[in-house]
Amino acid sequence: MAREYAEKGFTFVFVYTREAHPGENYGAHRSMEQKLAHARAFKEQDKIERPILIDDLVGTGHKLYGELPNMTYLVGRGGRVLFRSDWTDPPTIELVLNYLLNVRARRREGERLTPFYAEFVGYRKNDPAEFQERLKRAGQQAVDDFARMMQRWNQQGKIPGRLGE
Amino acid sequence: MPDPTEIEIYNYTTFEGKEDFVGFRTTLQVGSAAPDFSAILLETGQPVRLSDYWRERDLVIEFGSLT
Repeated sequence: MAREYAEKGFTFVFVYTREAHPGENYGAHRSMEQKLAHARAFKEQDKIERPILIDDLVGTGHKLYGELPNMTYLVGRGGRVLFRSDWTDPPTIELVLNYLLNVRARRREGERLTPFYAEFVGYRKNDPAEFQERLKRAGQQAVDDFARMMQRWNQQGKIPGRLGE
Repeated sequence: MPDPTEIEIYNYTTFEGKEDFVGFRTTLQVGSAAPDFSAILLETGQPVRLSDYWRERDLVIEFGSLT
C-alpha cells in the first residue's frame, strides 16, 4: 500500500519504539545498539520497505504522540495532524488517504471546503493465532506475560485498547 | 545521557498492559501542529528530524516494534 500511495504523493515512515512485548529473544532495550539491531531484524523479518526511524531510548517521540504500541498518524504537508488512530489498520489508512485526495480534487475543481473535527470507530483485523506467533518470536516470557494479563482482563470484564461492541 | 532509571521505566521488561488508550484520545488533537523530534534513520545510521518528512509531502507515520 505504501508503494501505491507513494505515487499519489504520500510519504510513509515507521517509528521504532520500545518492545511492546519483550521476551527472551527480543528483550527490553538497554542500548541504542540493541534497539537498532531489533529494528534491523524487524525490517528483515517483516520485509519493511518504508524508512525506519529509531526513536531515542527513553521514547521521546513515542511519548509526544501518545505512547501507544501501534498508532498511526497522518500529518499533512507542512505539519498539521490530520488523522490519528490508537491502532493500525491498512484499509482504514487507505480510506483516510482517499478522503484527503478527494478533498484536494474537489478544491482544484473550485469547491470551497473548510476543515472540521470528526471522530469514528475503526475496525481492524484481529488474528489471535498471528498475534501468538508474534509473541512466540519474542520469547516464551512474552507469551506468558500476555496470557497473564488476558486472564486478569477477562476477570475484570474489560480489555484495554478495545472498544466495546 | 538519559537517566538509566528512565530507560528502564520506559523499556519495561514485563508487559503489564499499562498503555493509556483513554488518555490518548485527548492528547495531541487532530488539527494541531504535529510535534517534531529527532530519530536515527536505520538505513544510514544518521540523525533525521521527523519534520524532514512532512515538509514537502503528506506523511503517514506508523509507530511500533518487532514484538
